[in-house]
Amino acid sequence: MPLRIEVMGRHHRALLEDFHNQHPSLVDYLRRFALRHAEKDLLARTFLAIDGAAGEERLAGYFTLATASVERTAVDSIESLTRLPGFPIPAVLLARLAVEDRVQGQGLGRYLFEEALGLTLQLARSGPVAFRLFVTDAIDEAAARFYERFGFSRLTGEFPCRMVLDLKPLLGERGQ
Amino acid sequence: MSRFQAQTTASLDEELADLRERLGLRENQRADLLRELAGLSSWVIRQAEAGRRIEARRGREVETLRSPAVERLRRKRAESVVGRIELTDAEVERLAEILDRGFSPSPALRQALSRLAVSKRRPPRLRWKDTTA
Repeated sequence: MPLRIEVMGRHHRALLEDFHNQHPSLVDYLRRFALRHAEKDLLARTFLAIDGAAGEERLAGYFTLATASVERTAVDSIESLTRLPGFPIPAVLLARLAVEDRVQGQGLGRYLFEEALGLTLQLARSGPVAFRLFVTDAIDEAAARFYERFGFSRLTGEFPCRMVLDLKPLLGERGQ
Repeated sequence: MSRFQAQTTASLDEELADLRERLGLRENQRADLLRELAGLSSWVIRQAEAGRRIEARRGREVETLRSPAVERLRRKRAESVVGRIELTDAEVERLAEILDRGFSPSPALRQALSRLAVSKRRPPRLRWKDTTA
């Protein structure tokens, strides 16, 4: 069976132990918190890329989506920024995206990102609430460059680097 | 308790004196030593907070930093899913620039959008390498 994307559930537990990634925090999150956040705390939902092409099912990657609210630390207004939408700005947060070390460099990161973008646009277009921004925190320079290719812009120069993509131009008439 | 503290302080002083000598600082440069150590620790903590593994490498030799404090930071980072994102004024100004500029999608974004428009997207066929990196 070719690669497929599934919403993470309890029945996927056995697949998690064999997942490897150069960033320990991305492995830790998947093994220890992703299911709890999805089923118990209702904080985020994780989507798994399961590869069954070789007859045996293996976890090739995952991404996690959550809602977020973008706010200002200061409350005083900045007069020159009148065109900025009022805070808080609703956003979808791409909280995690990771590809298994053994299948890096084969286009899975791009495929997972497109899945996450597709789900976000679907929600922003026809969901019951509006979202203006797609936000992520790039873990390192390579990740930041990856997101920049898809139009994300950096808000800071440090890592993890907060990055945003304005969804408005991607939403067509309904987003105007 | 006070004896324990005295012993701890003595051993800590010894370790600090050793580090001071190795960093080429004189006895009266204790403040400089602490400044140097704070700078180094701050870098290590920043890497751990970012979820990175901290390693020393020479050729094929790899030594990973193991510390309860670093482990706590790594766990904290792994657990968080931020719901509230607070921006500084500089970040707000940067965001305003981003939202103000015209729509000029990158080639990769155009391709992603056109692929998403196709109802049956084809996932990549993966070749699994035998060993982990």
